[in-house]
Amino acid sequence: MSIYEIRDMAIEIDGKQLVEGVNIAVEAGQCTAIIGASGSGKSLSCLTPFGLTPGVARGSITLDGIDLIQADAHQMRDARSRLTGFVFQQPLTALTPHLTIGAQLQEAAAQAGPPRSSRHELAQRLERVGLSRADERLDQFPHRLSGGERQRVMIAAAIAHEPKLLIADEPTSALDASLRGEIMALLDELRLERGLAMLLVSHDLASVEGHADQLIVMDQGRVVESGPTASLITKPQKEYTKRLMAASARLDEPAPQLQEVGDILLEAEAVAVTFPRPGWRRGKIKAVTDIGLHVREGEALAIVGGSGSGKSTLGKAIAGIGPLTSGTIRWQGQPLPERRARTVAMRALIQPVFQDPVASLDPQWKVRDIVAEPIKHLQPEILRKDRDAMVLKALEDVELGEDYLSRMPTSLSGGQAQRVAIARAIVASPRLLVLDEATSALDPLVGSSILQLLRKLQQTKNLSIIFITHDIASARRLCHRIVVLDEGAVVETGDMDLVIRNPQAVTTQKLIAAS
Amino acid sequence: MLALVARRLMTAVPTLLAIILASFFLMRLAPGGPFDGERPLPPETQAALQAAYGLDKPLWEQAWIYVSRLVQGDFGPSLVYRDFTVSELVAQGLPISLTLGGLAIILALFIGISAGLFAAVQAGKAADKAIMMFATVATALPTFVTGPALALFFGLWLGLLPVSGTGEGWSWLIMPVVALALPVSGAIAKLTRAGLATVLKQDHIRTAKARGLPETKILFKHGLRPALVPVASYLGPAAAGLLTGAVVVETVFGLPGLGRYFVQGALNRDYPLVLGVVTLYAALIILFNLFADLIYGWLDPRMREG
Repeated sequence: MSIYEIRDMAIEIDGKQLVEGVNIAVEAGQCTAIIGASGSGKSLSCLTPFGLTPGVARGSITLDGIDLIQADAHQMRDARSRLTGFVFQQPLTALTPHLTIGAQLQEAAAQAGPPRSSRHELAQRLERVGLSRADERLDQFPHRLSGGERQRVMIAAAIAHEPKLLIADEPTSALDASLRGEIMALLDELRLERGLAMLLVSHDLASVEGHADQLIVMDQGRVVESGPTASLITKPQKEYTKRLMAASARLDEPAPQLQEVGDILLEAEAVAVTFPRPGWRRGKIKAVTDIGLHVREGEALAIVGGSGSGKSTLGKAIAGIGPLTSGTIRWQGQPLPERRARTVAMRALIQPVFQDPVASLDPQWKVRDIVAEPIKHLQPEILRKDRDAMVLKALEDVELGEDYLSRMPTSLSGGQAQRVAIARAIVASPRLLVLDEATSALDPLVGSSILQLLRKLQQTKNLSIIFITHDIASARRLCHRIVVLDEGAVVETGDMDLVIRNPQAVTTQKLIAAS
Repeated sequence: MLALVARRLMTAVPTLLAIILASFFLMRLAPGGPFDGERPLPPETQAALQAAYGLDKPLWEQAWIYVSRLVQGDFGPSLVYRDFTVSELVAQGLPISLTLGGLAIILALFIGISAGLFAAVQAGKAADKAIMMFATVATALPTFVTGPALALFFGLWLGLLPVSGTGEGWSWLIMPVVALALPVSGAIAKLTRAGLATVLKQDHIRTAKARGLPETKILFKHGLRPALVPVASYLGPAAAGLLTGAVVVETVFGLPGLGRYFVQGALNRDYPLVLGVVTLYAALIILFNLFADLIYGWLDPRMREG
């Protein structure tokens, strides 16, 4: 008898059926993981039984003998407060900003009714989830903690009342690659130590395969396939599962065939970027120090590092959209001036693509105008008629049709929006694209199709690419060489496969372990 | 926290100085002078008066003299109420104006926050719509309409409250305070409701719900404080509005507050009196903005940094 069991569940919101035929079972001390792309109904299936979404669930749902479908408000609160703990995706926003860590942990510990915990007990709970200086942190507000620390606090709060079921909705997706493994290991440890039943939700197969006992693959509100993790991964039955497996980049897959590279196109030498400290404090923050790198014609270079490593700052300085404090950037041997002094022709050479595709498109503009904008500024001499043809060509290049011309960004999916952003970047025929985490916000299937698109564009247009990412496995599918950054400095660089096979720097080893 | 206060007080000095100098020169640009009566004074008397008050000196020098006296706490003599100094006049009016403004802002906060909270909880229902409509009306009605209307209804028709002056007890305060507080409370109600509507959708509210907390606890412990951030940023401008609004209310209800001296001083070109009141208003508004910033930091600890 499972501790938590869902049979034939359907969920509707405003009369629209979004999920149907879902069966989930979680045993004490075991982990069941739901895998699916965004919009597959995986989070909905997890949170709706507890009344935490606007959806209404039907079917049969029992948690430790309580029927959650029939439960009245009182029983539902009891199911939430006594039996279940929740860890959510966004540690940055999931904690109440104006209450101290101690106050929130106290509330969590007392939610099932036991007397107030002493300060010492609270500090012990924080230590248990791996937080140092626990006593000091009790008095801190959430914004003083890093994302990983906050997620540890969330976990401490989720298990403080000794629940039987832990529901973790994308607990590591918002975290740095190197932190993900640590947080998953902590969840495993706590699960085994307390015999917790755990229901894990993720879009990323690779991040759960070593942790889940049972796997459920969802797509478009239905269960595609489910079963024990090991057999499902080795012998997937359904086409969708196979595609999903193929989409998540793995380091043990065969190396891709990349195209030949030409002469050195861009060269950066002793690049440094410093920012003044915020507020009235003195001194500077050194975001990037003394970095040298080069990109050849037709070559893709991966700049890899954790968050705060300075990789985005470096990318912006190269693309001429961010500050450059000192150092030189040369284009085919000629120095490129700092960003404000670059001519229109120089700007046209290097174009950026950003992480969040929807946020990087103006929501008030049509796709036609978004893609046409670089031509208007970079090649103002081009006539309107020719411009329209160029826009259409760029959309075709990113595999979008004419019917996208008059769409608005809000009507696009993440993958479509990123294709539009790439069309905007290539429309004025640049020689170098700087992609900042361009696939990180996308589902694995969509992200891998964007990577394929980039490879195709690189080959047909002999484009050079700087691919900034935290994910070495994805970078390997596209890039010839790799530069690993840590704390604003290069710690390792070289041929992609050589570095992966024999990483020297600790940072590189950590990033590879996390992939 | 202390650093913020110190920094704000440091920037307050140049701000005040700029306000004083700007008002000083703007006022002098206006035609007319303090000694222009219905019958013009003989030129020699005019000249003697001008000399006695130092008005014959170059403008820059007068400004310098004014500011250096102000630093010593001397607001100068009134040019029209010749037996009084500006300090004496202000000392008479300020307590009334401060009581009026202070009570009005407390009342407005109380009415506004409770109404906004209730509307947010009832979002979309009839009560919500009624409150929001009432808030719009309250915000739109000027005090020179609500003031006389209140006086007519409660003072003249029902005879419950005094219509004018500062009579016995506290009953004379009720109508002016209500008239002053109404538009501000309407705005606060709208801000509170909008703030709560945003906050109640946020992730940390879902976390609180997931803990099985009762709705009221979620609302007051996790929701209300961040929702009041917009209200706190409105408090600075609201205080300015109350001070200037007090001018109208004091006139309508015949109260001897600062507002009366302000208006009459301006009409009579009583330069030191107007400057004195302007300086005081400016200082109060700066102080209130600082106060609003401190509340801000309490509402959302993230604001305490930098």
